[in-house]
Amino acid sequence: MESSLDQAPAIAHAHAHAAEHTHDEAGNALFGFIVFLLSESVIFLSFFVSYFLYKITTSDWYPDGVTGLATREPLINTIVLVSSSFVIFIAERFLHKRNLWGFRVFWLLTMAMGAYFLLGQAKEWSELPFGFTSGLFGGTFYLLTGFHGLHVLTGILLQGLMLIRSFIPGNYDKGTVGVEETSLFWHFVDVIWIVLFILLYVWQ
Amino acid sequence: MKIRTILTLVVLAIANAAISWWVGQQAYHWLPPQASAESKLVDELFSFLVTLGSFIFLCVTGAVLYTVAVHRVGRYDTSDGPPIEGNIPLEIVWTAIPIALVIWIAVYSQQIYEKMAVHGPMELVHLHNPIGIEAAYAAPMEAMSPPEEIEVHSRQWVWEFRYPGQDVTSTELHLPVDRRVKLALQTEDVIHGFYIPAFRLKQDIIPNKVIDFEFTPIREGKYRLRDSQYSGTYFAAMQTDVVVQSEADYQTWLAQAAKQTPVTAYNRAAAEYTRASEKRINAGWKTVPPAPAPIVNYAAEEGRA
Amino acid sequence: MTNVPIEAIANRTPQPLPGAPDNWKRFFTFSTDHKVIGIQYLVTSFTFFLVGGFFAMIIRGELVTPEADLVDRTIYNAMFTMHGTVMLFLWMFPSLVGLANYLVPLMIGARDMAFPRLNAIAFWMVPVAAILLMASFFAPGGPSQSGWWAYPPVSLQNPTGKLLNGQFLWLLAVAISGVSSIMGAVNFVTTIAKMRAPGMTLFRMPIYVWTVLSAQIIQLYGLPALTAGAVMLLMDLTFGTSFFDPAKGGNPVLYQHFFWFYSHPAVYVIILPIFGIFSEIFPVFARKPLFGYKIVAISSMTITFVSGIVWVHHMFASGTPPWMRIFFMFTTVFVAVPTGVKVFAWVATLWGGKLRLTTPMLFALGALIMFVFAGITGIMLATVPIDIHVNNTYFVVGHFHYVLFGTATMGMFAAIYHWFPKMTGRMYNEGLGQLHFWLTFVGTNLNFLPMHPLGLMGMPRRVASYDPEFAFWNVLASIGGFLLGMATLPFILNMVGSWVQGKKAPDNPWRAIGLEWMVSSPPPVENFEEIPVVVAEPYGYGKNEPLVAGDRAADLVTEPS
Repeated sequence: MESSLDQAPAIAHAHAHAAEHTHDEAGNALFGFIVFLLSESVIFLSFFVSYFLYKITTSDWYPDGVTGLATREPLINTIVLVSSSFVIFIAERFLHKRNLWGFRVFWLLTMAMGAYFLLGQAKEWSELPFGFTSGLFGGTFYLLTGFHGLHVLTGILLQGLMLIRSFIPGNYDKGTVGVEETSLFWHFVDVIWIVLFILLYVWQ
Repeated sequence: MKIRTILTLVVLAIANAAISWWVGQQAYHWLPPQASAESKLVDELFSFLVTLGSFIFLCVTGAVLYTVAVHRVGRYDTSDGPPIEGNIPLEIVWTAIPIALVIWIAVYSQQIYEKMAVHGPMELVHLHNPIGIEAAYAAPMEAMSPPEEIEVHSRQWVWEFRYPGQDVTSTELHLPVDRRVKLALQTEDVIHGFYIPAFRLKQDIIPNKVIDFEFTPIREGKYRLRDSQYSGTYFAAMQTDVVVQSEADYQTWLAQAAKQTPVTAYNRAAAEYTRASEKRINAGWKTVPPAPAPIVNYAAEEGRA
Repeated sequence: MTNVPIEAIANRTPQPLPGAPDNWKRFFTFSTDHKVIGIQYLVTSFTFFLVGGFFAMIIRGELVTPEADLVDRTIYNAMFTMHGTVMLFLWMFPSLVGLANYLVPLMIGARDMAFPRLNAIAFWMVPVAAILLMASFFAPGGPSQSGWWAYPPVSLQNPTGKLLNGQFLWLLAVAISGVSSIMGAVNFVTTIAKMRAPGMTLFRMPIYVWTVLSAQIIQLYGLPALTAGAVMLLMDLTFGTSFFDPAKGGNPVLYQHFFWFYSHPAVYVIILPIFGIFSEIFPVFARKPLFGYKIVAISSMTITFVSGIVWVHHMFASGTPPWMRIFFMFTTVFVAVPTGVKVFAWVATLWGGKLRLTTPMLFALGALIMFVFAGITGIMLATVPIDIHVNNTYFVVGHFHYVLFGTATMGMFAAIYHWFPKMTGRMYNEGLGQLHFWLTFVGTNLNFLPMHPLGLMGMPRRVASYDPEFAFWNVLASIGGFLLGMATLPFILNMVGSWVQGKKAPDNPWRAIGLEWMVSSPPPVENFEEIPVVVAEPYGYGKNEPLVAGDRAADLVTEPS
């Protein structure tokens, strides 16, 4: 009953295959990140469901003196955020062609658009006549926009990190999985916002 | 050999069925007295499930114990058993049998449930109102009199009952026998559970809602009403008696209670809380104070002495 | 990194990672070795099993008499809250994650998990959650006393009025444990999907790996819902929002939906790997292949998806409309189908085998029988009329203790004994193991069987005092409880004693088939000098065929006659 470890390798080509098989770290990272995002989306889904149920079951939905939400500025915000998904895609294309400066310019533009969105939202928050504790409407509004805003902020920070790392020589020798993940996260945040916008602003 | 195996299996199955049937009959004794029309239906279903469950349990454990007893390896035997990896027809059969069984159980349970016609709360969303219902209470009874309507007020940790017709309040629930009862369940603070084991009925009481709850007591006697949804510190003390009496006794009790001037009833939570707060050293943590002992026309006997 | 020279792999020696200690001290470091992390999980969770068991002793002590006389009611309420929380979040989940951490990479032929550092972070969050939970005993107003469900409005009642209170710390601890579990789930799913050795196709994975995958998928879709509910509850408790607070127009029943949407499937997160353990142990000690391997694998995945649509059966009495009650009754009873199929498969595996009743086999058999019993009471609970009677009574407590103790904890013991030689390189003491089994088996039935008649008679759960009619069965249950407390002593003695000075274990003491039995005991760092090439299905007992290419696996499992 001895260990099989001391046995001579039997099939050489299989070993090469095995080595390749277990060291696909970038592939693992991307796969794991997608799994994580799927899981994360259930949190948002839960909040959406809460919002939906509260809205259809509450008789006096808006707090006193509130008739609804202004949609003009949030719409501009939405357009900026959704377009940034295309901008980040262009940045990725540049990186793919190893055009680092093109990548950095468009990457920075994405960050700026994200920051514009966040500032716009901060402005909206500061002007609203209701707060977090103003009934179910106030609670769900700030919960949804706040939780999403936190994701936008995380996205911008990640983008910042990727931008800094792009100046490290040889950063992309091991692949571009970090950039791909950040970009995927950004698309995710955008899609969530579209649903959120429809729920909060379109369906009034 | 085949015939002998089949015969043995048939004999074992019959023996198992007989034992299971007996256990199923015993199941009635594991339950409190059947004091409501609904309880008979629940017990019937329970007995059925115990019979079926016993049969399956005896089959599986019997097979396991048999193989453990008989198919033991010899002390120095290091050989392997027969490499049987599966048997498709057998696997199909034992997938099909559970499917048939669970459908049988679920359909039977649904029929029982519809017969019980427990009126739960009408939810916020009226999505679907099921089925023509053959109710558990006998039709003549219903023709006899409209359901008796009683309000049930719950708060931490008090049960209080109000009979709106006579403007009577009580901490003991009195009900007429053989008559449909309609309770309006409400709570003033947290979720409580209205549970009378002898009636096999339970309903959570949700804040901000009045929940209509109907059933028919069929046996005179004294039973327990318990809070079944954990409601905080004195949860276990939130119990009282339910008295089911004949129509005449019930009316007499109502009339007498109506004449009595309201008194402060004993409340176990409030009494314990007062006793605890009089002690110098608090043996526990800070708690939500109980609601004051209720003032009612008729106070339950508990703690009177 | 794709072309690692073969020499580089071949030259790896069974040494710890550079700079890492190779003695007991490595268990106290931020090690990224999945085997170290696995043992860290197991030992930490077992410590909290003892803590949760201590709380249970206080509960059973209080329930010896009908009056609330041993401890104050607030303390009793804190005890059952913490007992449930500790046993689930600090014993069941971490111990299963620990076992999976140890076994999955070995079983699929990987050198480690996909994300070793994430793995270590996930582990070290468990002690953080545990410290927060234990610290809540010193918070104003004591620890949470709202039950492990933390149903509002009771959980929102904050008699001290302090911002930092037991419920707050409880929510924080549960959230941290949840984040740790999600990290673990991402890691397991990625590892199983991407790191399998060549030749290890899906239908060549051991059933244990299948069940871990099924369970971790549940974590991924279920835990976020609980997290959402917990965040909203935390907001209500701390900032005064009104999501679940009926006094401010909120809806407390919505919380129950969030809670059970995760917490019912959570039972399958626990029980599925236990099914996996059964499926590993029975073939080894019956010397027969697992009967119906494919259908057992598929039924695990079926449970994963069906378990997502059964949660309302916890809420039949919560003001649920009739259509919902009926719908969820049908989905719930359906769970019995894939489960029943597995039970039949195990019985057929045992049937006609060459059974060897070692400690792990005894524990697995005992757990199987108790699981069948729990399954039958589970079907009763699924039917609406009976559930309305026994919901929130001791019948439910009895049922789920047969699942969580009788099946899951006994199954864990089976697994610990079974893989103890592999993990430590030492054999456990068989006599102490058998003593542990019999004490546990008797204690479990004595403790939890009386709970069924109590529930049928109408004794609600979570009561500190009860009517005298319930005294008889409660005394029996308490005796059983104390017996279970005693039963852990031979286990601790056995584990500590055997680890320190047990007989040296060979690589494959059970003559079992599986990649983990082909490496040394304990396995070297990075597990495999060469990644094996799998050429057969996992349970080839009696078939005399090799499991991996170029290996004498057949010689390992069948003695030359």
